[in-house]
Amino acid sequence: MLVLPLAICWFSAVGLAILDGRRPTVAWTAVGALTAAFASIIVLATDVISGQPQQVVAGGWLPGVGIVLRADALGILFAIVSLGVLLAALLFETLGGVRSRSFPSLVMFLATGLTGLFLTGDAFNFYVFFEISMIASYVLTAYGEERRQLRAAAIFAVVNLLGSVLFLIAIAALYHITGRLDLFGIGARITEVPSRTVVLSAALVFVAFSVKLGLFPFHFWLAAVYTGTRPAVAAILSGAVANIGAYGLLRFGAELLPRELGFSSPALLVIGSASILYGGLQALSRNTLPEVLAYSSIGQAGYILLALGIGEQVGYSAAVLFAIVNSLNKGLLFLSENLRGWLVGAAFAVGGFSVAGVPPAAGFVSKAALFRAGIAEGSVLLIILIFLGGALSFIYMLRSYQRRFWVPEAPPDGQPAAHGSSPLRVRAIVVALALLVIALGVWPEPLLALSRDAAAVLPPVSVESAR
Amino acid sequence: MTLVLAFSIAVMFGAGAYLLLKHDLIRVVAGMVLISNAANLFIMSAGLSKGSAAIYPLPEDGSVSDPLVQAMTLTAIVISFGVSALLLSLVYRVYQTHRSVDIEQLAVAEEVETRQREEAVAEAEEEVPVAEEEEMALAERGANPVPVSVSESEDR
Repeated sequence: MLVLPLAICWFSAVGLAILDGRRPTVAWTAVGALTAAFASIIVLATDVISGQPQQVVAGGWLPGVGIVLRADALGILFAIVSLGVLLAALLFETLGGVRSRSFPSLVMFLATGLTGLFLTGDAFNFYVFFEISMIASYVLTAYGEERRQLRAAAIFAVVNLLGSVLFLIAIAALYHITGRLDLFGIGARITEVPSRTVVLSAALVFVAFSVKLGLFPFHFWLAAVYTGTRPAVAAILSGAVANIGAYGLLRFGAELLPRELGFSSPALLVIGSASILYGGLQALSRNTLPEVLAYSSIGQAGYILLALGIGEQVGYSAAVLFAIVNSLNKGLLFLSENLRGWLVGAAFAVGGFSVAGVPPAAGFVSKAALFRAGIAEGSVLLIILIFLGGALSFIYMLRSYQRRFWVPEAPPDGQPAAHGSSPLRVRAIVVALALLVIALGVWPEPLLALSRDAAAVLPPVSVESAR
Repeated sequence: MTLVLAFSIAVMFGAGAYLLLKHDLIRVVAGMVLISNAANLFIMSAGLSKGSAAIYPLPEDGSVSDPLVQAMTLTAIVISFGVSALLLSLVYRVYQTHRSVDIEQLAVAEEVETRQREEAVAEAEEEVPVAEEEEMALAERGANPVPVSVSESEDR
């Protein structure tokens, strides 16, 4: 059962690679395969969340010797959200017309990498799946193959490759220190080692995932890439690939290196705050919608780090919740970027409200969780900062809504497709995402319970004891 | 032995980082290759031992090396090989479309295209009613790109 989603994605990716993805039948096959993988993940999730984490050891070795695939609430939750965003983006592009023969196959490879990454229990396999998904997304960034996309892909590939290499070095160092590669074993042994030997690897892990997430001092690649790529790819990058960063920080930071996370928490809070303010102010000063959304992503990444810096169960569950809602928001907003029509306007408004944290949308729930974490930390400064970030995002989302949907006729980029409304089928996806965001906001209990389950996977101790 | 290895990793990583800061994209790729290989050496150094074979059934006498680091390095070599090929093909596509692999010239192109987009947005806000006029304006700008000095692009 655990291997099924991975196998579906992998085999269909390889099979689709030799077919011409521009033909509708091929693209629809990819949609079908991804739906099947998504469904099997959900079936797996019902098992995992109601009962114990599931585990498969490759080749019948003993656990700890063989390579482990492991599904717990944290991983499976991220897998569901990432595959969901991928599915929406693939469907969007299939309905709108795929432009290159490799697109469906690449999305499936990305799905393989992401599923594997969220379901692996082995540090080196984490790196391998990480690279599979990153390589697929380097090529996806170039999708469209115009000048801008190629430039964006070159920047994206070089910067993120450096991040991957740093992560690889960190894994080698952790192996050198603990002699284990399975995440459980590393976590168990790392506490026996004096902290000063681990701190360098912890810093490397942090930098590697921050680059993925696009946090403030490591954000420089993000704006050019998110604005340069096509909307569907931007939605994939910010809605699915960026989840690697959030998940990696939670898994490696909170589970494997809780001590280091504990004593670096002031630094995390400072970097997170800087990221929120920088992203918000830059987004406010930008004129085109993709740029606003790109800088908004930097700001939103800051919240995740803030929640992580607060620590404890309340902080971790806020981080999980925020990462999930944020990827839905960004998927929705980037997909509706180039569409027109009042339905899209409404969907965009829902996404905007969600980013700003206004009640009917899911963003409110995640902001509320953050406030709760801030109150638990007992810091007035943090609460003011969260509020300020929310106010900034409200202003920039309102402004871009105004620019985008209150201008008459003349389209901003002069694309022919922008005249009148976009096809109903394409708009339906955006509307469905918007309805999902509202539904999660109106009835947040399942999501809250899931995020609590996910945070319960992480060790509850340590942050306080380390201080 | 360990010191020599550490030193060579440092030199490779440093040289790679230096190349990464160059303006020529080909050198950037070369820098990435060097850095990936420094990482490979680093993995090897995580289980460093001298003179023993890395074989699982433990021999009666003597020791074995850790086979796991070698397996990991092999995987990492394959991955970095694939990524380098991908990077090179990407750079080639950039060269095909821009006739240049100089980062500064790419930045100038980015600047020009961004400015065009922003002007299009500004015009849309000022309500230019006839689409044909706008198309003509776009065509004009395409013919004479907005001159951007190199120093400006460096400021960014």
